[in-house]
Amino acid sequence: MQPTPDPAASAVLAVVFLPFVAAALVPLVYRALGERTAYYAAAVALACFGLVASQYGTHGTVSFPWIPSLGVSVSFYVDGLSLLVGFLASGVGVLILTYSGGYMHGEPGQPKYYAALLAFMGSMLGVAFAADLIALFVFWELTSLSSFILIGHYQRQKSSQYAARKSMLITVSGGLFMLVGFLLLHAVTGEFSIVYMLENPELVQEELRQAGLFLPVLGLIGVGAAAKSAQVPLHIWLPNAMEAPTPVSAFLHSATMVKAGVYLLGRFRPVLVSHEWELAFAILGLTTMTVAAILAVGATDIKELLAYSTASHLGLIVAGFGFVSDLGGETGAFHIINHATFKAALFLVAGIIAHEAGTRKIENLGGLSEDLPITAGITAVAALGMAGVPPFNGFYSKELLFEAAWEAAAHAGGLAWLYPAVAVFGSVFTFLYSIRFLMLFFGEKPTGLHKVHSPPKAMLAPPLLLGILAALVSLGGVLGTFGFHFEPFDHFVTEVWASTVAPDADLHGGFSYHVPTHLTPAAAMSAVTIVLGAAAYPFYGRLHRGVNRLTDVNLLRANWYYDSTVFGANDFSDTVAETVQNGLLRTYATWALATVAALTLAGYAASGVTLPEFALAEGMTLPIVLVLLIAIVGAVAVSIAPSHISGVLTLSILGFMVAVFYVLASAPDLALTQLVVETLTLVIFLLVLDRLPAFYGNAGRGKMIRDGALSAVVGATVFVTVLVSTAATPADGIAEEFVNRAVPEGGGGNIVNVILVDFRAFDTMGEISVVAMAALSVLTLVAMRERGETQ
Amino acid sequence: MSTVIARTVTRTVVPIILVTAVALLLQGHNLPGGGFIGGVLTVTAFALIYIIYGLNYLEEELLHQNREVLIESIQHGIVGNYQLAFGLGLAVAAVAGLVPLLFGGNFLLQDYWVLHHLPVYGELHVASALAFDLGVYFVVVGALLTILAVVGTE
Repeated sequence: MQPTPDPAASAVLAVVFLPFVAAALVPLVYRALGERTAYYAAAVALACFGLVASQYGTHGTVSFPWIPSLGVSVSFYVDGLSLLVGFLASGVGVLILTYSGGYMHGEPGQPKYYAALLAFMGSMLGVAFAADLIALFVFWELTSLSSFILIGHYQRQKSSQYAARKSMLITVSGGLFMLVGFLLLHAVTGEFSIVYMLENPELVQEELRQAGLFLPVLGLIGVGAAAKSAQVPLHIWLPNAMEAPTPVSAFLHSATMVKAGVYLLGRFRPVLVSHEWELAFAILGLTTMTVAAILAVGATDIKELLAYSTASHLGLIVAGFGFVSDLGGETGAFHIINHATFKAALFLVAGIIAHEAGTRKIENLGGLSEDLPITAGITAVAALGMAGVPPFNGFYSKELLFEAAWEAAAHAGGLAWLYPAVAVFGSVFTFLYSIRFLMLFFGEKPTGLHKVHSPPKAMLAPPLLLGILAALVSLGGVLGTFGFHFEPFDHFVTEVWASTVAPDADLHGGFSYHVPTHLTPAAAMSAVTIVLGAAAYPFYGRLHRGVNRLTDVNLLRANWYYDSTVFGANDFSDTVAETVQNGLLRTYATWALATVAALTLAGYAASGVTLPEFALAEGMTLPIVLVLLIAIVGAVAVSIAPSHISGVLTLSILGFMVAVFYVLASAPDLALTQLVVETLTLVIFLLVLDRLPAFYGNAGRGKMIRDGALSAVVGATVFVTVLVSTAATPADGIAEEFVNRAVPEGGGGNIVNVILVDFRAFDTMGEISVVAMAALSVLTLVAMRERGETQ
Repeated sequence: MSTVIARTVTRTVVPIILVTAVALLLQGHNLPGGGFIGGVLTVTAFALIYIIYGLNYLEEELLHQNREVLIESIQHGIVGNYQLAFGLGLAVAAVAGLVPLLFGGNFLLQDYWVLHHLPVYGELHVASALAFDLGVYFVVVGALLTILAVVGTE
């Protein structure tokens, strides 16, 4: 390939951050423009699209120093794949935001809606261009967050809350898996830079294998991608996410967010591609493709059908990326584009139907082409593409998948023949539901469906444009048969394809596509799919009911597992909270102390700390021994004291003995402090005790034993901790240093004080802040309690 | 809780405690003492008055305070003064830390000067750390008195 120019730094930075800035301005803009904010947002998206387009043809890294002294920088990477996702996010964004102007008319919460959509678009662009693992992760989770807001747009509805929570739980936790994978990658390579990994894929894979971390990294990144791209069995959030307003569904769940997972696979494909990779992702993708297509046949709601169909097509892309051969990367790259065009168009069509016909139930719809001729035309192009019928766009990418599956099977033999078989099987169902969707526009109008109005222009133009794009791609294939190619388009797909294979891979002269002119295995598989699909279509109703009967079985539903886990966890945490925090101070103290002691001791045990030898005799004079003995007597007396008052008084014996011990051990400062503090605590204790009942509660024997054992354990923990921590004192004590420097540098003879105010003044500063904070919190606690804030 | 003996002893002892506390604060740099101990000792003096005479006496008779109450549940306006004290203390400590910046030093850099030929004292060490110590003193006094007053009122 000829060298390409470097991307322009300012453009890339602007493309990522412009949407966020624009999102922050939405409340102000909304005050000025009202519902026309949609067009403001669309203009922002258009600007982003322009900026992305201006970088078309460039390739390379853009880096901005951020904290130069620590070598931290913000960097972005521009190549075919990131440009593709950038185009999708901003381009579909323009259409969706325009469409929203019509669709969201009169809806509540519009400022929030547009701000979240713009923020989402920005995060998605960030995901596309991030050149750093951490930055990628941050933008990745930002897409989850903003989609959480968007899915839960109707925040008062229980079903929206459930859907938003579900998608958040699944996609965010998937992202955490991915983060662990990234950290492992970093641990092995010592790099956070994705560009480094893309430039040395073999080296990175080699290092990963040597560290034995290849499979974990593959798995963790796979989980992240699968959660985001709704792969089985994590696909369950996608149908629920249809609670969102339709433009959101079209944007997030057909063109952008769900593509993030696929993007991740494409991004790491050059680095991780291997035999294991093929096994993992070809199986995952094909399973998802088939299962989701079957579920789509069982769908009763048009958006539900499209949601399952999305999961199914994402499965197709994942399977494509999964196949190791060059065809695999080609499949994925091309199908991302095709899927985005036809699926976004279909979602917008579904929005039009729901908006104008007032229902989304499949059985209540039919014969819509009379009232909605243009929409019917768009649907025909898009749905036939989705079905994989030649010469529509989805056909070519599906052909590529068949080819890749066939090649993989021919290469490996044996069980690998399941790849093409499953691919065909799943495609039959894809064909079935696509035709079912198309048939909404034909046949007889069901009774109860009144005349359907035409949608406003703002709602019709975006799907029309997407439909035209899909048709153009389709036309490209027809023309390709006669030797005319859309050079720029082919070139762009080649660029994307090149991003998903190793840098030195052979691309066979670039990407081109056409209708098959002679019988190949793939063409035969397509023919079988269409014939089987057409033969099965008359039995659609029966299949639909069969699928639904199957999904009524709890054990077969991924949703059932999710619900059981989540609600089970809720119940469990309620139980735990009631046990641990039952409102009795005694219980809180018991659990807190037991936990701290257990964790500390377990920590010592885990790190294999050995108790240092200590000699009792060292530095022990008779007075010290006496004083300590009295202290022990005091301690025993505390535990058997009959009332609070005598308990506190005997406790202070212990404190004063410690003070005397300090005096004997020549630490006058400590002794002074201890004496004064002891006196003051005694006073405060007595003040409080004045108001308390003078007797102890009658605790049972079992509780007494438990408390006794706990206090013994806590005592042992403290003892061990003191031993272990003092044993770590360095041989040449730091004390010597302080003694030598106190007078000449601090000008004070009291070393303790010089340390406090001169050498470690910053520490002291922090400590007095803590003291002040403690006083404030006492004040607040007491005041809040008295105000009766108990609701 | 207040007998004649207790009242009399308190009257005698409290001034001594306060003087000792201030002495501890001032001599802290060279001899046992310092802001923290001085602060705690001062609070014990207040605690003594409080136990023997009650907070009202302290507030009205000794300090002639009759302030509006900020938080209803805390019956004594003097708590506001205590809060002021530890706020002030933090400010003093922070300013003491910032001043060296004016002279091109680091945050919290301390210095000291030795004054010769003073009447009565003869030679005297003056350490800039005293300002910082004063901040510590006020924070401790303010915070502990706040706690004492709030808990005591309860």
